[in-house]
Amino acid sequence: MTGWRVLQVVLLALAALLHSRSATAHQATLGVLEFREMRPGVFIGRWTTLPKDGANRIELKMPAHCLLRLPELNCGDKGLVGQMTIANLGEDMSAAIIRVTSLNGETRSYTISAANPVVTVLGTDAPTLDTWLELGKTYINFGIDHILLGADHLLFVLGLIWIVQGGWRLLKTITAFTIGHSASLAATAFGWIGVPEGPLNACIALSIVFVGVEIVKQQRGEIGLTARYPWAVAFSFGLVHGIGFASALAGLGLERRILPAALLFFNVGVEIGQILFVLLVLALIWAHRRLGAVLPSWGAELPAYAIGSVSMFWFLGRLVRVLALA
Amino acid sequence: MSLRLRTSLLTALLLLTQVQIADAHIVSARLGDFYAGALHPLLTLQDVVAWAALGLLAGSLGAASGRWLVAVFPLGLCLGLALAVAAGLAPTPPIVDAATILVIGLLLAAALRIPVALLCMLAFVLGVMRGVANAGELVPQTDRVLYAAGLASAGYVAITLIMALVLAFRRPETEPASSWRGIAVRAIGGWLAAIGLMMAGLSLAT
Amino acid sequence: MMRRHLLHSACGVVLLSVLTASPGFAHEQTGVGGGLAAGLLHPLTGLDHLVAMVAVGIWGAQLGGAAIWVLPIVFPLVMALGAVVGILKIGLPVPELVIALSALVLGLAVALRVRAPFVLAAAVVAVFAIFHGHAHGAELPSAANPLAYGCGFVVATGLLHAFGITIGALARWPGGERVIQGVGAAIAALGGYFLVTSLGVAA
Repeated sequence: MTGWRVLQVVLLALAALLHSRSATAHQATLGVLEFREMRPGVFIGRWTTLPKDGANRIELKMPAHCLLRLPELNCGDKGLVGQMTIANLGEDMSAAIIRVTSLNGETRSYTISAANPVVTVLGTDAPTLDTWLELGKTYINFGIDHILLGADHLLFVLGLIWIVQGGWRLLKTITAFTIGHSASLAATAFGWIGVPEGPLNACIALSIVFVGVEIVKQQRGEIGLTARYPWAVAFSFGLVHGIGFASALAGLGLERRILPAALLFFNVGVEIGQILFVLLVLALIWAHRRLGAVLPSWGAELPAYAIGSVSMFWFLGRLVRVLALA
Repeated sequence: MSLRLRTSLLTALLLLTQVQIADAHIVSARLGDFYAGALHPLLTLQDVVAWAALGLLAGSLGAASGRWLVAVFPLGLCLGLALAVAAGLAPTPPIVDAATILVIGLLLAAALRIPVALLCMLAFVLGVMRGVANAGELVPQTDRVLYAAGLASAGYVAITLIMALVLAFRRPETEPASSWRGIAVRAIGGWLAAIGLMMAGLSLAT
Repeated sequence: MMRRHLLHSACGVVLLSVLTASPGFAHEQTGVGGGLAAGLLHPLTGLDHLVAMVAVGIWGAQLGGAAIWVLPIVFPLVMALGAVVGILKIGLPVPELVIALSALVLGLAVALRVRAPFVLAAAVVAVFAIFHGHAHGAELPSAANPLAYGCGFVVATGLLHAFGITIGALARWPGGERVIQGVGAAIAALGGYFLVTSLGVAA
């Protein structure tokens, strides 16, 4: 019964979030760079609005297969596909707009700002197989990196494994977590919901505290919420973590038309990273059993307390940051 | 251990070996120094050979002696790293590295029942040596604590998994060292000793 | 039981190949991939070495008893001793001749199922091991990454060994003994051929 109540609360909170989409801040544009396609894959670029402190100070990076020697940009047969970055953004210049006009006269604009230092370009023509492969490689890698670098997500998954102890229940729980974070990741990326980053990160930290408490409860013989309805807990916290994943994706300045694909690849990357982590943890658990290397009874609660303390530390730190900003 | 579990473990290992996490930008991110510390030894042949040798030796001695290494070896790595950073300890010369591999290989091949204390000491010394060697990768921008954590985690994961795999394969509780499984592990010891001997010869020659 | 063994060895080989093929090594250390490949391939490309090595495995399995475990454990060490001699650039007399001769002798021993006393068998194998190791050891210092070369060399040798022992295990099946003797005869013939060529070169 309590499981359902928690779910209701979470759903209510989500509904509230749907109405409070965060406004995207507008930054002053200090430079506009235009690329016009002259031959397939070859562009002529020029600054139509010069940045304040001179165009030649800007470190513009084009996809690796492109040769940029302004005014010419030569991307060969593959075309302008991949990531564009301005490396030294943020010191004097807060944003730049890159406008690409293709042979057929279609124009696309990309905004590069300190918040979105990278934009992904899908080429000027209809996407080809190469484009998709390039996109897939980029975003799967990005997803793997993101989950492996997200210590908070990994710690949460570790806590789940600890409580559920492997087997079918673990598979179901991890799947529920995956469904949860995929759903909210998609919803956030498409702009259906918006959550300010600060409070969200605090919530993510709090979810790990919760799991830590549940582990301690379980070790004391109480049957906690997570032990009873692991999938429900995993799903609802998955929703929270998914919004966190989306904030990483948002920093990449995605074109609207490639968003679904990028989202899919990113999520695949996240799953790969997550599965690797789960397998590693399971292998280690097996190894510890095999070696008989278990903590003595007086230290059995140490890991749970460690998880709880670390996440509480994160929570407080993030809370302070939120309150300081407010 | 059931065959299914073993197959899944092998699959997991296969998967793990194929991930190219070393892919450029993970190492340059916020927590990147952790992965830099974890991946550097795993991509350095000298470490791979030495760690595998130690894990094989400890695993072949049985769970009762091996389990101490789960903590001792990572501690050694951390101490080595700390000594290299704080006291400027230089890495051991190649002849010592080679001799270590030779000794571990010989101990493994001979299937000697060495006492737990000796094994722990060996693991600790090897950990310190490899910790010092891995400090060579540090640059002033590296977050030392994260790098050390990564190195220790890699040491812990590698040594624990190798020991458990050897235990599962070798079954020292039920089968004597002269069973074919025991011989296979001892043969690897012979090979390792051969590598160590050749490297020692090479470092003498140059 | 045998199937499980085969499964194990297959898994081992796959793991090994994945590990060795991992481009990660090449990424981090210069020349590790090249060194490993060179070390792995070297014992496989010299046919005289290859057949003699397989013969050692078969003969060990045939002799049984102490030979079956002394051989795989001690052989690499003796070989490494030979390699050290090679690394230190100490010359051995007529290496080609001795390798060819050892292939011939080992092949004959397998074909004729010679039940040599253990000490004698060990001595014959040790001589071969030293010459074999010497030939590879001489190349070691010039390898892109000597440690990688050494690992590759040892792994390839060990696999050849295991291959020989597996052939030797065929004796459990009816008719397997004949197959083994056939293989031994083929090895002896090859050894004889190499002996003649190296004598021709020497003359």
